[in-house]
Amino acid sequence: MEVRERIDLLERADIVNSLLARYGVKFGIYKNNTFHEQLFPFDPIPRVIGKEEFAYLEKGLKQRVQALNLFLKDIYNEKKILKDKIVPEEFIYASSGYLAQCEGIVPSKGVFSHISGIDLVLGKDGVWYILEDNLRVPSGASYPMIARELCRRSSPKTFQSVSVADNRSYAELLKKTLDYVNTGGLTVVLTPGRYNAAYFEHSYLAEKMKVPLVSSHDLITENDKLYFVDYSGKKEQVGAVYRRISDEYLDPMNFNHESVIGVPHIFDIYRKGNVAIVNAPGNGVADDKGIYYFVPKMIRYYLGEEPILHNAPTYLPYYEEDMTYVLENFDKLVLKDVAEAGGYGVVFGNSMSSKQKEDFLVLLKREPRRFIAQEVIDFCDLPIQEKGEQFERKADLRAFVLSSDEPVVWKSGLTRFSRNPDSFIVNSSQGGGFKDTWVLNQ
Amino acid sequence: MGVKSVEHIDRLYWLGRYSERVYTTIKLYGKRFDSMIEEDAEGYEEFCQSLEIPNIYTSVEDFREKYPFGRDDPNSIYSNLMRAYDNAIELREEIGSETLAYVQMAVYELNKAAISDAPMIEFQNILDDTLAFWGIVDDQIEDEETRNIIKLGKRVERIDLYGRLRVDRASMRREVHRINGRIDRSGLRYNKQALARINELIEEEDLNYPEIVREIEKILEV
Repeated sequence: MEVRERIDLLERADIVNSLLARYGVKFGIYKNNTFHEQLFPFDPIPRVIGKEEFAYLEKGLKQRVQALNLFLKDIYNEKKILKDKIVPEEFIYASSGYLAQCEGIVPSKGVFSHISGIDLVLGKDGVWYILEDNLRVPSGASYPMIARELCRRSSPKTFQSVSVADNRSYAELLKKTLDYVNTGGLTVVLTPGRYNAAYFEHSYLAEKMKVPLVSSHDLITENDKLYFVDYSGKKEQVGAVYRRISDEYLDPMNFNHESVIGVPHIFDIYRKGNVAIVNAPGNGVADDKGIYYFVPKMIRYYLGEEPILHNAPTYLPYYEEDMTYVLENFDKLVLKDVAEAGGYGVVFGNSMSSKQKEDFLVLLKREPRRFIAQEVIDFCDLPIQEKGEQFERKADLRAFVLSSDEPVVWKSGLTRFSRNPDSFIVNSSQGGGFKDTWVLNQ
Repeated sequence: MGVKSVEHIDRLYWLGRYSERVYTTIKLYGKRFDSMIEEDAEGYEEFCQSLEIPNIYTSVEDFREKYPFGRDDPNSIYSNLMRAYDNAIELREEIGSETLAYVQMAVYELNKAAISDAPMIEFQNILDDTLAFWGIVDDQIEDEETRNIIKLGKRVERIDLYGRLRVDRASMRREVHRINGRIDRSGLRYNKQALARINELIEEEDLNYPEIVREIEKILEV
């Protein structure tokens, strides 16, 4: 990139951030039981991925998502992977993401994880490592979409001189994914409402796909079909629901009975194949942090291939051998509670006081299935700009894989960075910012 | 888009009403503020009476502070703008991000005015954002029904406020003629008797303002 164009992009970062504020590009967060809307700070220096490097990632991500989809189909049906003892049963049935209600169900067109958000980091050794798979309701694609739109306005010459794959077709890709599994009728985005952390994304994607954004009270179930009821009382059948509500709250008749944001009996209609729910309920069993350990084994088992992308070296204290390793190397490991998400439940062995460590070890020995331990990946810093100066900060990448007739990797992604120089935690809920992700065309 | 829920219809209508309420009350507040600079220190009491809002203010200074910016005052300009925003933010896919942005900007401008040494001058930005919002509703919302429901809310609110503030007959007649041309295009069912009665009332020499207010408040009761 020419110097002048690079300067344009950086100098106009404040304008881009003020436009992001103008369009209400925010996320919600609860602090002390009070809801706050916060702007998601945007850094103008993109993460740049070369064409060849992306081709490698693309191949690895497709492979991983294909295996995860096969795993989900298998777990809720034949369970061959359990019978063949590749994955221990207790990792399935003890997982909070496993839903017995999904047993025997094959969703429309056999797709379970339609939108997969795969978190990766680039190690200082030049190797990309998968940190986690998000197969329930992964969010974040809307942020680079709108940031790209605004950066193109603020620095058109940059995009004239650098050939970057256009990421603004995400909504079309998503609509195509939803249409593929639609069982006949409207496609809608189902939101729990504006006090959800990702409400901006729900409404923005509905706008860009030109589909209705609905709440549970707009939908009714009748004669084994799902309907949207309009203001005049007219009913229109719904064939695909892009739900941004977690499994637990999706249907009070089948899951959490206290849910007031779900649609009663929607799951029964889904079970009968009369509506597609995207992503499929029960996917949590495959993105559990404990199951992560087994994904390379799944790839070998279902596809007969060697995994292209690497997991971070992971230990399961559930296995005696791994427990011994964890106890001996505690200070150099990061420990994760498999039930937590969003950067919570993550502790670094070397940051604990001796009392904390003592308490933690008691817990670990009592509930070994609850934790995984990983080597701390020394991942690459990326430059960020703050008050005109540049600093290096930890950053990850959430890649999006959309599965319809075949998996497609979106040629972009959400790059999140830590704003704290000493932190590896990049989540927006913990004060992180985001960058656009450029995939070069050549 | 074609399909709209009851909730969206309600939100479109109230987006129209609250955005109009913000616009008109800022203008009224501006006039009252000006008259209270040198004299008419108690003028806010009459202001409250005309809008039929409780006079919770203890002094001119208290009124100057709380009426525009009071977060706990349900009748403040701030509260009305936040109600417009609360409706708009739930309508992004219906009205579009570009349209929503003007309501969002008005919120930022009001927050800036609240900490300014000269809030009155800052209010111009909120009026500009509101006018731009009306403009973009016309220009960019393709769905005619959506457009007309927002504008119906605006017209209803204006007649309501004009009735309470006893504006001149010509202005009232103009607004009633506008609603006559708008209401059928909204696609909403409405109280035809109430509209007919309002049309009779504006032909009278001395306008019966309280009755006009009562009738316009019943316009969507069917």
